[in-house]
Amino acid sequence: MKRLNISRFYQGMNLTAFSLVMVFLYIPILILIIFSFNNAKIITGWRGFTLKYYFQLFENDTIKEAFRNTMVIAGLSTFISTVLGVLTALGMENKKFSGRKLMSALIYVPLVIPDILMGVSLALLFNFTRVNTGMFTVLIAHITFCISYTVIVIQSRLEGFNYSLVEAAMDLGARPAYIFWKIKFPLMLPGIIAAALLAFTLSIDDFIITFFTSGRGFDTLPIYVEGTIRRGTITTINSLSTLMIGFTLFLVVITKRLRKILISTI
Amino acid sequence: MRNGNYNQTLNAGAQKTQSRRNLMSWLLTAPALIWLILFFLVPYFIVVIYSFLTPDIYDVQFEFSLEAYRQALNLQYLSTFFQSFRLAALTTLLCILLGFPVAYYIARAKDKVKNTLLVFIIIPFWTNLIIRIFSWRIFLSYNGVLNDLLMRSGLINQPLEIMRTDLAVLLVMVYVYLPYMILPLYSVLEKLDFTLLHAAMDLGANEIKAFFRITLPLAAEGIFAGSLLVFIPALGAYLIPQLVGNQRSLYLGQVITYKIKNIPRNWPMASALSLTLLVFVAILLVALFALYKRSKKLRRV
Repeated sequence: MKRLNISRFYQGMNLTAFSLVMVFLYIPILILIIFSFNNAKIITGWRGFTLKYYFQLFENDTIKEAFRNTMVIAGLSTFISTVLGVLTALGMENKKFSGRKLMSALIYVPLVIPDILMGVSLALLFNFTRVNTGMFTVLIAHITFCISYTVIVIQSRLEGFNYSLVEAAMDLGARPAYIFWKIKFPLMLPGIIAAALLAFTLSIDDFIITFFTSGRGFDTLPIYVEGTIRRGTITTINSLSTLMIGFTLFLVVITKRLRKILISTI
Repeated sequence: MRNGNYNQTLNAGAQKTQSRRNLMSWLLTAPALIWLILFFLVPYFIVVIYSFLTPDIYDVQFEFSLEAYRQALNLQYLSTFFQSFRLAALTTLLCILLGFPVAYYIARAKDKVKNTLLVFIIIPFWTNLIIRIFSWRIFLSYNGVLNDLLMRSGLINQPLEIMRTDLAVLLVMVYVYLPYMILPLYSVLEKLDFTLLHAAMDLGANEIKAFFRITLPLAAEGIFAGSLLVFIPALGAYLIPQLVGNQRSLYLGQVITYKIKNIPRNWPMASALSLTLLVFVAILLVALFALYKRSKKLRRV
Protein backbone atom coordinates (compact mmCIF):
# COMPACT_ATOMS: atom_id res chain seq x y z
CA MET A 1 0.00 0.00 0.00
CA LYS A 2 2.82 2.32 0.91
CA ARG A 3 4.33 1.77 -2.53
CA LEU A 4 1.10 2.76 -4.24
CA ASN A 5 0.92 6.00 -2.29
CA ILE A 6 4.43 6.98 -3.19
CA SER A 7 3.72 6.16 -6.82
CA ARG A 8 0.72 8.37 -6.73
CA PHE A 9 2.78 11.10 -5.15
CA TYR A 10 5.29 10.87 -7.99
CA GLN A 11 2.61 10.87 -10.65
CA GLY A 12 1.06 13.91 -8.96
CA MET A 13 4.41 15.63 -9.00
CA ASN A 14 4.78 14.89 -12.69
CA LEU A 15 1.31 16.22 -13.36
CA THR A 16 2.21 19.42 -11.53
CA ALA A 17 5.40 19.73 -13.56
CA PHE A 18 3.47 19.07 -16.74
CA SER A 19 0.87 21.72 -15.95
CA LEU A 20 3.52 24.27 -15.03
CA VAL A 21 5.38 23.62 -18.27
CA MET A 22 2.14 24.01 -20.21
CA VAL A 23 1.54 27.38 -18.57
CA PHE A 24 5.16 28.31 -19.28
CA LEU A 25 4.81 27.31 -22.95
CA TYR A 26 1.51 28.97 -23.65
CA ILE A 27 1.22 32.10 -21.47
CA PRO A 28 3.43 34.33 -23.64
CA ILE A 29 1.68 33.21 -26.82
CA LEU A 30 -1.77 33.81 -25.33
CA ILE A 31 -0.79 37.26 -24.15
CA LEU A 32 0.52 38.07 -27.59
CA ILE A 33 -2.76 37.01 -29.20
CA ILE A 34 -4.85 38.98 -26.71
CA PHE A 35 -2.74 42.10 -27.13
CA SER A 36 -3.04 42.00 -30.89
CA PHE A 37 -6.61 43.21 -30.31
CA ASN A 38 -5.55 45.90 -27.85
CA ASN A 39 -6.25 49.47 -28.89
CA ALA A 40 -2.88 50.92 -27.84
CA LYS A 41 0.26 52.00 -29.64
CA ILE A 42 2.73 50.64 -27.07
CA ILE A 43 2.66 47.70 -24.69
CA THR A 44 0.58 48.92 -21.79
CA GLY A 45 -2.59 47.81 -20.08
CA TRP A 46 -5.80 46.94 -21.85
CA ARG A 47 -7.27 49.91 -23.79
CA GLY A 48 -10.22 48.32 -25.51
CA PHE A 49 -10.85 45.95 -28.38
CA THR A 50 -9.83 46.83 -31.92
CA LEU A 51 -9.19 45.15 -35.23
CA LYS A 52 -7.40 48.13 -36.72
CA TYR A 53 -3.94 46.58 -36.54
CA TYR A 54 -5.21 43.71 -38.66
CA PHE A 55 -6.45 46.14 -41.28
CA GLN A 56 -3.14 47.98 -41.14
CA LEU A 57 -1.41 44.73 -42.01
CA PHE A 58 -3.22 44.44 -45.29
CA GLU A 59 -2.42 48.03 -46.18
CA ASN A 60 1.28 47.66 -45.48
CA ASP A 61 3.11 46.97 -48.73
CA THR A 62 6.38 46.03 -47.04
CA ILE A 63 4.64 43.29 -45.09
CA LYS A 64 2.84 42.08 -48.18
CA GLU A 65 6.11 41.88 -50.07
CA ALA A 66 7.87 40.12 -47.19
CA PHE A 67 5.00 37.64 -47.07
CA ARG A 68 5.25 37.01 -50.80
CA ASN A 69 9.01 36.52 -50.54
CA THR A 70 8.61 34.09 -47.65
CA MET A 71 6.07 32.01 -49.53
CA VAL A 72 8.07 31.91 -52.77
CA ILE A 73 11.24 30.87 -50.93
CA ALA A 74 9.40 28.31 -48.80
CA GLY A 75 7.51 26.86 -51.77
CA LEU A 76 10.54 26.54 -54.02
CA SER A 77 12.93 25.28 -51.36
CA THR A 78 10.33 22.75 -50.17
CA PHE A 79 9.81 21.44 -53.67
CA ILE A 80 13.48 21.17 -54.58
CA SER A 81 14.66 19.79 -51.24
CA THR A 82 11.86 17.21 -51.23
CA VAL A 83 12.70 16.00 -54.74
CA LEU A 84 16.38 15.77 -53.77
CA GLY A 85 15.31 14.00 -50.57
CA VAL A 86 13.29 11.37 -52.42
CA LEU A 87 16.12 10.66 -54.87
CA THR A 88 18.73 10.47 -52.13
CA ALA A 89 16.62 8.26 -49.88
CA LEU A 90 16.00 5.87 -52.78
CA GLY A 91 19.71 5.80 -53.58
CA MET A 92 20.64 5.16 -49.96
CA GLU A 93 18.26 2.24 -49.74
CA ASN A 94 20.98 0.09 -51.22
CA LYS A 95 22.91 -0.94 -48.10
CA LYS A 96 26.00 -1.82 -50.18
CA PHE A 97 26.16 1.59 -51.89
CA SER A 98 29.84 2.55 -51.91
CA GLY A 99 29.10 6.24 -51.30
CA ARG A 100 26.84 5.57 -48.35
CA LYS A 101 29.20 6.76 -45.63
CA LEU A 102 30.10 9.97 -47.45
CA MET A 103 26.47 10.75 -48.13
CA SER A 104 25.39 10.03 -44.54
CA ALA A 105 28.11 12.32 -43.24
CA LEU A 106 27.03 15.14 -45.55
CA ILE A 107 23.44 14.72 -44.44
CA TYR A 108 23.94 14.38 -40.68
CA VAL A 109 26.77 16.82 -40.03
CA PRO A 110 24.75 19.97 -40.88
CA LEU A 111 22.26 18.91 -38.21
CA VAL A 112 24.79 18.73 -35.39
CA ILE A 113 26.54 22.06 -35.85
CA PRO A 114 25.06 25.42 -34.83
CA ASP A 115 23.14 26.89 -37.76
CA ILE A 116 24.85 30.25 -37.41
CA LEU A 117 27.92 28.53 -38.88
CA MET A 118 26.02 27.63 -42.05
CA GLY A 119 24.94 31.27 -42.30
CA VAL A 120 28.51 32.55 -41.90
CA SER A 121 29.97 30.05 -44.35
CA LEU A 122 27.37 30.80 -47.03
CA ALA A 123 27.77 34.56 -46.53
CA LEU A 124 31.49 34.18 -47.17
CA LEU A 125 30.88 31.90 -50.17
CA PHE A 126 28.65 34.50 -51.78
CA ASN A 127 31.16 37.21 -51.00
CA PHE A 128 34.04 35.18 -52.38
CA THR A 129 32.19 34.35 -55.61
CA ARG A 130 30.88 37.94 -55.88
CA VAL A 131 27.29 36.79 -56.28
CA ASN A 132 24.70 39.48 -55.61
CA THR A 133 22.80 38.49 -52.49
CA GLY A 134 19.03 38.40 -52.71
CA MET A 135 16.31 35.93 -53.47
CA PHE A 136 18.60 33.56 -55.33
CA THR A 137 21.13 33.24 -52.52
CA VAL A 138 18.42 32.85 -49.86
CA LEU A 139 16.86 30.08 -51.93
CA ILE A 140 20.17 28.23 -52.19
CA ALA A 141 20.69 28.53 -48.43
CA HIS A 142 17.20 27.27 -47.61
CA ILE A 143 17.50 24.26 -49.90
CA THR A 144 20.86 23.46 -48.30
CA PHE A 145 19.52 23.31 -44.75
CA CYS A 146 16.27 21.56 -45.74
CA ILE A 147 17.91 18.64 -47.60
CA SER A 148 19.14 16.90 -44.43
CA TYR A 149 15.66 16.91 -42.92
CA THR A 150 13.83 15.71 -46.04
CA VAL A 151 16.29 12.87 -46.62
CA ILE A 152 16.07 11.67 -43.02
CA VAL A 153 12.27 11.79 -42.87
CA ILE A 154 11.81 9.96 -46.18
CA GLN A 155 14.54 7.47 -45.31
CA SER A 156 12.88 6.57 -42.03
CA ARG A 157 9.69 5.87 -43.94
CA LEU A 158 11.54 3.60 -46.39
CA GLU A 159 13.13 1.67 -43.55
CA GLY A 160 9.81 0.34 -42.36
CA PHE A 161 8.99 -0.65 -45.89
CA ASN A 162 7.35 -3.97 -46.61
CA TYR A 163 9.07 -5.45 -49.64
CA SER A 164 6.74 -8.42 -50.06
CA LEU A 165 4.43 -6.24 -52.17
CA VAL A 166 7.27 -5.26 -54.52
CA GLU A 167 8.47 -8.85 -54.73
CA ALA A 168 4.97 -10.08 -55.45
CA ALA A 169 4.58 -7.53 -58.25
CA MET A 170 7.96 -8.56 -59.67
CA ASP A 171 6.96 -12.20 -59.59
CA LEU A 172 3.82 -11.29 -61.47
CA GLY A 173 5.97 -9.68 -64.17
CA ALA A 174 5.37 -5.98 -63.49
CA ARG A 175 7.87 -3.54 -65.01
CA PRO A 176 10.12 -1.53 -62.62
CA ALA A 177 8.54 1.81 -63.55
CA TYR A 178 5.10 0.38 -62.98
CA ILE A 179 6.16 -1.03 -59.62
CA PHE A 180 7.59 2.30 -58.59
CA TRP A 181 4.60 4.46 -59.45
CA LYS A 182 1.88 2.00 -58.45
CA ILE A 183 3.35 0.50 -55.30
CA LYS A 184 6.44 2.16 -53.96
CA PHE A 185 5.54 5.80 -54.48
CA PRO A 186 2.10 5.57 -52.83
CA LEU A 187 3.67 3.86 -49.84
CA MET A 188 6.33 6.56 -49.65
CA LEU A 189 3.82 9.37 -49.98
CA PRO A 190 3.09 9.94 -46.27
CA GLY A 191 6.83 10.26 -45.67
CA ILE A 192 7.20 12.64 -48.59
CA ILE A 193 4.36 14.83 -47.33
CA ALA A 194 5.78 14.86 -43.82
CA ALA A 195 9.18 15.82 -45.23
CA ALA A 196 7.69 18.59 -47.36
CA LEU A 197 5.75 20.05 -44.43
CA LEU A 198 8.85 19.99 -42.27
CA ALA A 199 10.89 21.71 -44.96
CA PHE A 200 8.15 24.29 -45.43
CA THR A 201 7.97 25.18 -41.73
CA LEU A 202 11.76 25.25 -41.40
CA SER A 203 11.98 27.62 -44.33
CA ILE A 204 9.27 29.95 -43.05
CA ASP A 205 10.80 29.89 -39.59
CA ASP A 206 14.41 30.53 -40.47
CA PHE A 207 15.93 33.78 -39.38
CA ILE A 208 19.67 33.45 -38.94
CA ILE A 209 20.67 31.78 -42.22
CA THR A 210 18.40 34.12 -44.19
CA PHE A 211 19.90 37.07 -42.28
CA PHE A 212 23.38 36.12 -43.50
CA THR A 213 22.43 35.34 -47.10
CA SER A 214 19.85 37.99 -48.02
CA GLY A 215 20.97 41.32 -49.24
CA ARG A 216 19.39 44.66 -48.51
CA GLY A 217 15.97 44.93 -50.08
CA PHE A 218 15.08 41.26 -49.83
CA ASP A 219 13.16 40.64 -46.62
CA THR A 220 11.34 37.51 -45.53
CA LEU A 221 8.79 37.79 -42.71
CA PRO A 222 11.20 36.83 -39.88
CA ILE A 223 13.75 39.37 -41.16
CA TYR A 224 11.06 42.04 -41.39
CA VAL A 225 9.73 41.22 -37.91
CA GLU A 226 13.19 41.37 -36.33
CA GLY A 227 13.95 44.70 -37.95
CA THR A 228 10.64 46.14 -36.84
CA ILE A 229 11.08 44.94 -33.27
CA ARG A 230 14.51 46.54 -33.16
CA ARG A 231 13.14 49.84 -34.46
CA GLY A 232 10.38 49.69 -31.87
CA THR A 233 7.23 49.97 -33.95
CA ILE A 234 5.53 46.83 -32.89
CA THR A 235 1.77 47.28 -33.10
CA THR A 236 1.36 45.46 -36.39
CA ILE A 237 3.79 42.76 -35.24
CA ASN A 238 1.22 41.55 -32.70
CA SER A 239 -1.44 41.04 -35.32
CA LEU A 240 1.03 39.65 -37.85
CA SER A 241 2.29 37.16 -35.24
CA THR A 242 -1.24 36.11 -34.37
CA LEU A 243 -1.96 35.36 -38.01
CA MET A 244 1.27 33.39 -38.28
CA ILE A 245 0.37 31.35 -35.20
CA GLY A 246 -3.01 30.70 -36.77
CA PHE A 247 -1.25 29.50 -39.88
CA THR A 248 0.91 27.13 -37.79
CA LEU A 249 -2.16 25.66 -36.10
CA PHE A 250 -3.75 25.23 -39.51
CA LEU A 251 -0.66 23.33 -40.69
CA VAL A 252 -0.70 21.08 -37.62
CA VAL A 253 -4.37 20.28 -38.18
CA ILE A 254 -4.07 19.57 -41.90
CA THR A 255 -1.01 17.38 -41.33
CA LYS A 256 -3.07 15.25 -39.01
CA ARG A 257 -6.00 15.18 -41.43
CA LEU A 258 -3.76 14.47 -44.39
CA ARG A 259 -2.07 11.62 -42.61
CA LYS A 260 -5.43 10.13 -41.67
CA ILE A 261 -6.77 10.42 -45.22
CA LEU A 262 -3.61 8.93 -46.66
CA ILE A 263 -3.58 6.04 -44.25
CA SER A 264 -7.22 5.29 -44.96
CA THR A 265 -6.68 5.29 -48.74
CA ILE A 266 -3.70 2.94 -48.64
CA MET B 1 19.89 -8.71 -44.51
CA ARG B 2 17.81 -8.90 -47.62
CA ASN B 3 20.88 -8.30 -49.76
CA GLY B 4 22.91 -10.79 -47.78
CA ASN B 5 20.54 -13.62 -48.58
CA TYR B 6 20.52 -12.75 -52.23
CA ASN B 7 24.27 -12.74 -52.47
CA GLN B 8 24.69 -16.11 -50.89
CA THR B 9 22.38 -17.79 -53.32
CA LEU B 10 23.16 -16.00 -56.54
CA ASN B 11 26.25 -16.50 -58.68
CA ALA B 12 28.23 -14.51 -61.24
CA GLY B 13 25.15 -12.54 -62.28
CA ALA B 14 24.88 -11.18 -58.78
CA GLN B 15 28.12 -9.25 -59.07
CA LYS B 16 26.84 -7.52 -62.17
CA THR B 17 23.51 -6.66 -60.57
CA GLN B 18 25.38 -5.40 -57.55
CA SER B 19 27.55 -3.02 -59.51
CA ARG B 20 24.57 -1.86 -61.52
CA ARG B 21 22.67 -1.14 -58.32
CA ASN B 22 25.68 0.71 -57.00
CA LEU B 23 25.80 2.89 -60.09
CA MET B 24 22.09 3.53 -59.76
CA SER B 25 22.63 4.66 -56.16
CA TRP B 26 25.36 7.05 -57.26
CA LEU B 27 23.07 8.52 -59.90
CA LEU B 28 20.18 8.93 -57.49
CA THR B 29 22.25 10.55 -54.76
CA ALA B 30 24.34 12.67 -57.15
CA PRO B 31 22.13 15.80 -57.14
CA ALA B 32 22.09 16.07 -53.34
CA LEU B 33 25.73 15.06 -53.13
CA ILE B 34 26.84 17.77 -55.54
CA TRP B 35 24.56 20.31 -53.87
CA LEU B 36 25.94 19.61 -50.39
CA ILE B 37 29.54 19.63 -51.58
CA LEU B 38 29.03 23.00 -53.30
CA PHE B 39 26.95 24.70 -50.62
CA PHE B 40 27.90 22.95 -47.42
CA LEU B 41 31.46 21.69 -47.73
CA VAL B 42 33.10 24.27 -50.01
CA PRO B 43 31.86 27.27 -47.94
CA TYR B 44 33.80 25.93 -44.93
CA PHE B 45 36.99 25.92 -46.96
CA ILE B 46 36.33 29.57 -47.73
CA VAL B 47 35.85 30.23 -44.02
CA VAL B 48 39.24 28.64 -43.39
CA ILE B 49 40.86 30.78 -46.09
CA TYR B 50 39.20 33.99 -44.86
CA SER B 51 40.37 33.38 -41.31
CA PHE B 52 43.96 33.86 -42.51
CA LEU B 53 43.31 37.10 -44.39
CA THR B 54 43.54 40.78 -43.45
CA PRO B 55 40.30 42.60 -42.59
CA ASP B 56 39.04 45.61 -44.50
CA ILE B 57 36.20 47.97 -43.63
CA TYR B 58 33.76 46.48 -46.11
CA ASP B 59 35.53 43.37 -47.34
CA VAL B 60 38.79 41.45 -46.95
CA GLN B 61 42.26 42.00 -48.34
CA PHE B 62 43.93 38.94 -49.77
CA GLU B 63 47.01 39.25 -47.57
CA PHE B 64 48.07 36.48 -45.25
CA SER B 65 47.70 37.28 -41.57
CA LEU B 66 47.44 35.42 -38.27
CA GLU B 67 46.02 38.45 -36.51
CA ALA B 68 42.49 36.99 -36.24
CA TYR B 69 43.66 33.93 -34.30
CA ARG B 70 45.95 36.02 -32.12
CA GLN B 71 42.99 38.22 -31.21
CA ALA B 72 40.63 35.29 -30.75
CA LEU B 73 42.80 34.14 -27.84
CA ASN B 74 42.40 37.50 -26.12
CA LEU B 75 40.76 37.55 -22.75
CA GLN B 76 37.78 39.41 -24.20
CA TYR B 77 36.91 36.65 -26.66
CA LEU B 78 37.71 33.88 -24.22
CA SER B 79 35.16 35.37 -21.86
CA THR B 80 32.65 35.51 -24.72
CA PHE B 81 33.24 31.81 -25.29
CA PHE B 82 32.84 31.14 -21.60
CA GLN B 83 29.67 33.20 -21.46
CA SER B 84 28.10 31.21 -24.34
CA PHE B 85 29.27 27.92 -22.89
CA ARG B 86 27.73 28.74 -19.52
CA LEU B 87 24.44 29.75 -21.15
CA ALA B 88 24.30 26.54 -23.21
CA ALA B 89 25.16 24.37 -20.20
CA LEU B 90 22.59 26.04 -17.92
CA THR B 91 19.93 25.85 -20.63
CA THR B 92 20.59 22.13 -21.13
CA LEU B 93 20.52 21.43 -17.40
CA LEU B 94 17.26 23.31 -16.85
CA CYS B 95 15.71 21.62 -19.88
CA ILE B 96 16.58 18.20 -18.45
CA LEU B 97 15.17 19.08 -15.02
CA LEU B 98 11.96 20.53 -16.44
CA GLY B 99 11.62 18.17 -19.37
CA PHE B 100 12.09 14.88 -17.55
CA PRO B 101 8.92 14.95 -15.41
CA VAL B 102 6.93 16.20 -18.39
CA ALA B 103 8.18 13.47 -20.70
CA TYR B 104 7.62 10.92 -17.95
CA TYR B 105 4.09 12.13 -17.43
CA ILE B 106 3.24 11.91 -21.12
CA ALA B 107 4.89 8.51 -21.46
CA ARG B 108 2.76 7.11 -18.65
CA ALA B 109 -0.48 8.73 -19.78
CA LYS B 110 -3.23 6.68 -21.40
CA ASP B 111 -2.69 5.98 -25.09
CA LYS B 112 -5.64 8.11 -26.14
CA VAL B 113 -4.42 11.19 -24.28
CA LYS B 114 -0.78 10.73 -25.26
CA ASN B 115 -1.04 12.12 -28.77
CA THR B 116 -3.02 15.15 -27.66
CA LEU B 117 -0.44 15.92 -24.98
CA LEU B 118 2.34 15.57 -27.52
CA VAL B 119 0.62 17.98 -29.88
CA PHE B 120 0.57 20.52 -27.05
CA ILE B 121 4.34 20.21 -26.79
CA ILE B 122 4.80 20.38 -30.55
CA ILE B 123 2.65 23.46 -31.30
CA PRO B 124 5.05 26.00 -29.75
CA PHE B 125 7.86 24.12 -31.48
CA TRP B 126 6.16 24.77 -34.81
CA THR B 127 5.43 28.39 -34.04
CA ASN B 128 7.81 30.88 -35.53
CA LEU B 129 10.87 31.37 -33.30
CA ILE B 130 10.91 35.12 -33.61
CA ILE B 131 7.26 35.33 -32.57
CA ARG B 132 7.90 33.26 -29.47
CA ILE B 133 10.79 35.50 -28.50
CA PHE B 134 8.72 38.58 -29.22
CA SER B 135 5.89 37.32 -27.02
CA TRP B 136 8.33 37.14 -24.10
CA ARG B 137 9.29 40.73 -24.70
CA ILE B 138 5.67 41.72 -24.28
CA PHE B 139 5.43 39.61 -21.16
CA LEU B 140 8.66 40.70 -19.48
CA SER B 141 9.24 44.28 -20.59
CA TYR B 142 9.37 47.21 -18.17
CA ASN B 143 5.72 48.15 -18.66
CA GLY B 144 4.78 44.66 -19.80
CA VAL B 145 2.16 42.24 -18.60
CA LEU B 146 4.13 40.58 -15.80
CA ASN B 147 5.10 43.87 -14.19
CA ASP B 148 1.57 45.16 -14.61
CA LEU B 149 0.13 42.15 -12.82
CA LEU B 150 2.70 42.24 -10.02
CA MET B 151 2.19 45.97 -9.45
CA ARG B 152 -1.56 45.67 -9.39
CA SER B 153 -1.49 42.80 -6.94
CA GLY B 154 0.73 44.97 -4.75
CA LEU B 155 3.62 42.51 -4.66
CA ILE B 156 6.06 45.10 -5.95
CA ASN B 157 6.10 48.89 -6.01
CA GLN B 158 8.45 49.37 -8.90
CA PRO B 159 8.53 47.43 -12.16
CA LEU B 160 11.15 44.68 -12.20
CA GLU B 161 13.84 45.01 -14.81
CA ILE B 162 13.90 41.49 -16.17
CA MET B 163 14.11 42.35 -19.83
CA ARG B 164 17.62 42.93 -21.13
CA THR B 165 19.25 40.77 -18.47
CA ASP B 166 21.11 37.46 -18.69
CA LEU B 167 18.29 35.93 -16.67
CA ALA B 168 15.80 36.83 -19.40
CA VAL B 169 18.10 35.27 -21.99
CA LEU B 170 18.29 32.03 -19.99
CA LEU B 171 14.54 31.98 -19.45
CA VAL B 172 13.72 32.37 -23.13
CA MET B 173 16.42 29.89 -24.12
CA VAL B 174 14.84 27.26 -21.87
CA TYR B 175 11.44 28.15 -23.28
CA VAL B 176 12.58 27.74 -26.88
CA TYR B 177 14.66 24.60 -26.45
CA LEU B 178 12.46 22.67 -23.99
CA PRO B 179 10.51 20.75 -26.69
CA TYR B 180 13.82 19.55 -28.18
CA MET B 181 14.53 17.90 -24.83
CA ILE B 182 11.04 16.59 -24.12
CA LEU B 183 10.55 14.79 -27.44
CA PRO B 184 13.64 12.51 -27.38
CA LEU B 185 13.14 11.90 -23.65
CA TYR B 186 9.57 10.91 -24.32
CA SER B 187 10.48 8.49 -27.08
CA VAL B 188 12.88 6.68 -24.73
CA LEU B 189 10.60 6.70 -21.71
CA GLU B 190 7.71 5.47 -23.79
CA LYS B 191 9.61 2.29 -24.60
CA LEU B 192 10.65 1.85 -20.99
CA ASP B 193 9.37 -1.35 -19.47
CA PHE B 194 7.58 -0.28 -16.32
CA THR B 195 7.33 -3.86 -15.09
CA LEU B 196 11.05 -3.60 -14.33
CA LEU B 197 10.27 -0.82 -11.89
CA HIS B 198 7.55 -2.83 -10.23
CA ALA B 199 9.84 -5.83 -10.02
CA ALA B 200 12.54 -3.75 -8.38
CA MET B 201 10.09 -2.35 -5.89
CA ASP B 202 8.64 -5.76 -5.15
CA LEU B 203 12.18 -6.78 -4.31
CA GLY B 204 12.29 -3.97 -1.79
CA ALA B 205 13.83 -1.04 -3.64
CA ASN B 206 12.12 2.24 -2.86
CA GLU B 207 11.00 4.71 -5.52
CA ILE B 208 14.12 6.82 -5.29
CA LYS B 209 16.46 3.86 -5.57
CA ALA B 210 14.43 2.42 -8.43
CA PHE B 211 14.55 5.75 -10.22
CA PHE B 212 18.31 6.09 -10.01
CA ARG B 213 19.06 2.42 -10.66
CA ILE B 214 16.55 1.70 -13.43
CA THR B 215 14.67 4.66 -14.93
CA LEU B 216 17.60 7.03 -15.21
CA PRO B 217 20.11 4.59 -16.81
CA LEU B 218 17.47 3.44 -19.29
CA ALA B 219 16.56 7.03 -20.13
CA ALA B 220 20.23 7.97 -20.59
CA GLU B 221 19.95 7.66 -24.34
CA GLY B 222 17.12 10.22 -24.44
CA ILE B 223 18.95 12.61 -22.13
CA PHE B 224 22.00 12.26 -24.34
CA ALA B 225 20.09 12.96 -27.58
CA GLY B 226 18.12 15.82 -26.03
CA SER B 227 21.24 17.42 -24.60
CA LEU B 228 22.88 17.42 -28.03
CA LEU B 229 19.79 18.98 -29.58
CA VAL B 230 19.78 21.72 -26.95
CA PHE B 231 23.42 22.35 -26.11
CA ILE B 232 24.88 22.67 -29.61
CA PRO B 233 22.42 25.16 -31.13
CA ALA B 234 22.46 27.06 -27.81
CA LEU B 235 26.21 27.62 -28.20
CA GLY B 236 25.63 29.64 -31.35
CA ALA B 237 22.45 31.43 -30.26
CA TYR B 238 22.07 34.89 -31.76
CA LEU B 239 18.44 35.89 -31.91
CA ILE B 240 17.48 35.33 -28.27
CA PRO B 241 20.40 37.25 -26.70
CA GLN B 242 19.90 39.94 -29.33
CA LEU B 243 16.22 40.47 -28.62
CA VAL B 244 15.96 39.94 -24.86
CA GLY B 245 19.56 40.36 -23.66
CA ASN B 246 21.65 43.46 -23.17
CA GLN B 247 24.50 44.84 -25.19
CA ARG B 248 26.93 44.83 -22.28
CA SER B 249 27.44 41.08 -22.19
CA LEU B 250 27.58 39.73 -25.73
CA TYR B 251 27.29 36.07 -26.61
CA LEU B 252 29.35 34.32 -29.27
CA GLY B 253 26.58 34.33 -31.87
CA GLN B 254 26.23 38.09 -31.49
CA VAL B 255 29.96 38.74 -31.76
CA ILE B 256 30.26 36.62 -34.93
CA THR B 257 27.23 38.31 -36.48
CA TYR B 258 28.46 41.82 -35.67
CA LYS B 259 31.85 41.06 -37.22
CA ILE B 260 30.12 40.02 -40.44
CA LYS B 261 27.28 42.53 -40.62
CA ASN B 262 28.41 45.71 -38.87
CA ILE B 263 30.83 48.19 -40.37
CA PRO B 264 33.80 48.15 -39.91
CA ARG B 265 33.57 44.50 -40.84
CA ASN B 266 36.07 41.96 -39.68
CA TRP B 267 35.48 38.80 -41.64
CA PRO B 268 38.77 37.10 -40.72
CA MET B 269 37.81 37.50 -37.06
CA ALA B 270 34.30 36.13 -37.67
CA SER B 271 35.86 33.20 -39.56
CA ALA B 272 38.38 32.45 -36.82
CA LEU B 273 35.66 32.55 -34.14
CA SER B 274 33.35 30.35 -36.26
CA LEU B 275 36.10 27.79 -36.79
CA THR B 276 36.93 27.77 -33.09
CA LEU B 277 33.26 27.06 -32.36
CA LEU B 278 33.21 24.35 -35.05
CA VAL B 279 36.30 22.63 -33.66
CA PHE B 280 34.91 22.82 -30.15
CA VAL B 281 31.64 21.22 -31.26
CA ALA B 282 33.51 18.53 -33.19
CA ILE B 283 35.67 17.63 -30.19
CA LEU B 284 32.62 17.59 -27.97
CA LEU B 285 30.72 15.28 -30.34
CA VAL B 286 33.62 12.85 -30.73
CA ALA B 287 34.19 12.74 -26.97
CA LEU B 288 30.51 12.24 -26.23
CA PHE B 289 30.09 9.47 -28.76
CA ALA B 290 33.17 7.68 -27.43
CA LEU B 291 31.76 7.96 -23.92
CA TYR B 292 28.39 6.78 -25.11
CA LYS B 293 29.82 3.73 -26.89
CA ARG B 294 31.85 2.80 -23.83
CA SER B 295 28.92 3.09 -21.48
CA LYS B 296 26.85 0.95 -23.82
CA LYS B 297 29.54 -1.70 -23.85
CA LEU B 298 29.78 -1.59 -20.08
CA ARG B 299 26.08 -1.99 -19.71
CA ARG B 300 26.09 -5.05 -21.90
CA VAL B 301 28.80 -6.71 -19.76
